[in-house]
Amino acid sequence: MAGKSIKTNSKFANGILGFFMNAMLILFSLSCIFPLIWMFYSSLKTKREFYADVTGLPENPTFQNFIDLLSNPNNNLLSAMLNSVRTTFLSVVLIVICGYVLGYILSRINFKGNRVIYIMLLMGMLIPVHALLVPVYIVYKDLNLSNQWFTLIIPYVAFGLPIAVFLVEGYIKAIPIELEEAAAIDGSSFSKTLFSIILPVSRPILVTIAIIQTFACWNEFSFALILIKDSALQTVPPALTMFKGQFSSDFPKTMAALLITMSPIVVLYFTFSKQIIKGMVAGAVKG
Amino acid sequence: MPESIQPKKIVIFGYMLVPMTLFIFAVFVPLVAAGVFSFFEWKGGPNKIFIGLENYITLINDEIFWTAFGNNIFLVVACIIGQIGLAFVFSLMIYSRLVKFKSIHRTFGFFPSTVSAVAVGFIWRMVFDYKNGVINWFLTAIGQEDLTRVWLNDEKIIMFVVAIPLIWQYIGYYMIIILSAMSSVSQEIFEVAELDGANGIQRAIYIIFPLIKNTLLVCLTLCIAGNMKAFDNIYVMTKGGPGYSSNVMAMYAYNISFDKSNNLGYGSAISVGIFVLSLLVIGGSQLLINRATRSKEV
Repeated sequence: MAGKSIKTNSKFANGILGFFMNAMLILFSLSCIFPLIWMFYSSLKTKREFYADVTGLPENPTFQNFIDLLSNPNNNLLSAMLNSVRTTFLSVVLIVICGYVLGYILSRINFKGNRVIYIMLLMGMLIPVHALLVPVYIVYKDLNLSNQWFTLIIPYVAFGLPIAVFLVEGYIKAIPIELEEAAAIDGSSFSKTLFSIILPVSRPILVTIAIIQTFACWNEFSFALILIKDSALQTVPPALTMFKGQFSSDFPKTMAALLITMSPIVVLYFTFSKQIIKGMVAGAVKG
Repeated sequence: MPESIQPKKIVIFGYMLVPMTLFIFAVFVPLVAAGVFSFFEWKGGPNKIFIGLENYITLINDEIFWTAFGNNIFLVVACIIGQIGLAFVFSLMIYSRLVKFKSIHRTFGFFPSTVSAVAVGFIWRMVFDYKNGVINWFLTAIGQEDLTRVWLNDEKIIMFVVAIPLIWQYIGYYMIIILSAMSSVSQEIFEVAELDGANGIQRAIYIIFPLIKNTLLVCLTLCIAGNMKAFDNIYVMTKGGPGYSSNVMAMYAYNISFDKSNNLGYGSAISVGIFVLSLLVIGGSQLLINRATRSKEV
């Protein structure tokens, strides 16, 4: 009898515990997703309707905010999107290619500078990026490298490189060397082995790198802020801060702008969330 | 070794030349440049005057800089407790049999960490806004009007206010890392623990914690390094204000060099200061962690 009452007791305790834990997690998940939903339906309101009721649903949904933003030539939202797409795309491609080649060489080939380069890349990862903002500004300005369409690709590739190299290096080490030996017997040259035999095998890790760097480059703010003064060349994050001055009191319009600039990331994330989460975690733990 | 496996030096050199040149130019040249410029009085114009260590003496006595450093440390501590602590608790909950919608919690929880810090800063500015913010609206709605305040303009609480978005953004990120570590812990260990009558909390502390210790240390390092370079959120939310009360080191270097003055010489000295202090804090915490974990094992 005593045993039975303990059992029902623990069942009751489990019920309370379960309810409590579910409630906590649901609250947390809602807090993560609610801003997106709130911004979406609020961006369909007029300024007046929004200020009358900050959290209410729109009564007469209108796309006017979006139309205003996209048709107004004074704000460079669309050009900022294009700049971000170009910068992100080129940076990611270069990081993947350079990271792959360097990572392969470092893991497979013995040469004098091997350790030196390894340590240099490691230092590159440890150096706090924000300690370099001021000197980067000075150096790029002196060499006339700031305010160009390719300016941001330089730091993005350089600072994305170490993690890419280390991920590739670790991955290549797990590939049996017999693969290359067999290729050598078949008469494959070094470059051919590198690009047509090992590259396809390394695809998963290259996809991981591309995922991590796509988000990193699209969201990068500080270099973009100091290196690009020409508003026609600005990427999305600094363009948004310019925007703050223009419409600081118009929340629905600000939300519409945030949604437009977040849309590629949101679509990408919710389409491939499993792979993206896996890739980002792999990068964080191994890096 | 055949040449296709150990190719000639010139081939390796050719492959490495471009990426390594780019890397050295972008990472090491600015580092050296900061060191050099920090010895000059230079306001961005053509005149550079060598002044030796004067910038560094100013820096050591610069209270604003040390307030900023203190704020960085505050963020580090707040985020270790808020991000890793909550992430650990949430991970344990998600692992429990009693919890539903596990994959939804993962997907939604991780989402904020993929959004730019600028966008997150904007969202929270609107949440904290005095006139139209959700927080003050909510406080008014539940009849606690005297609790409403100008959240972003109150020196006493501003660091807590700017820490909230930072913490919130990355809980899910650490949660996923911890969950992936927990899933590599053998399921049998959990079951044995249950048979022995270990309740949830005991189980967490005595069994799971030591088994995923290494992952937690990785999180700790990420968290420290991440918050020493806090900048984007602060730039959007307060620009370091009111006064200097929410200033962080990177924000100060930015203000001195670009925004409030054009003092690139002193800005370079601050950069060197950020570099040294960040490495000290990260390196120091590593040493402490190593010592703490070693003494426990003995």
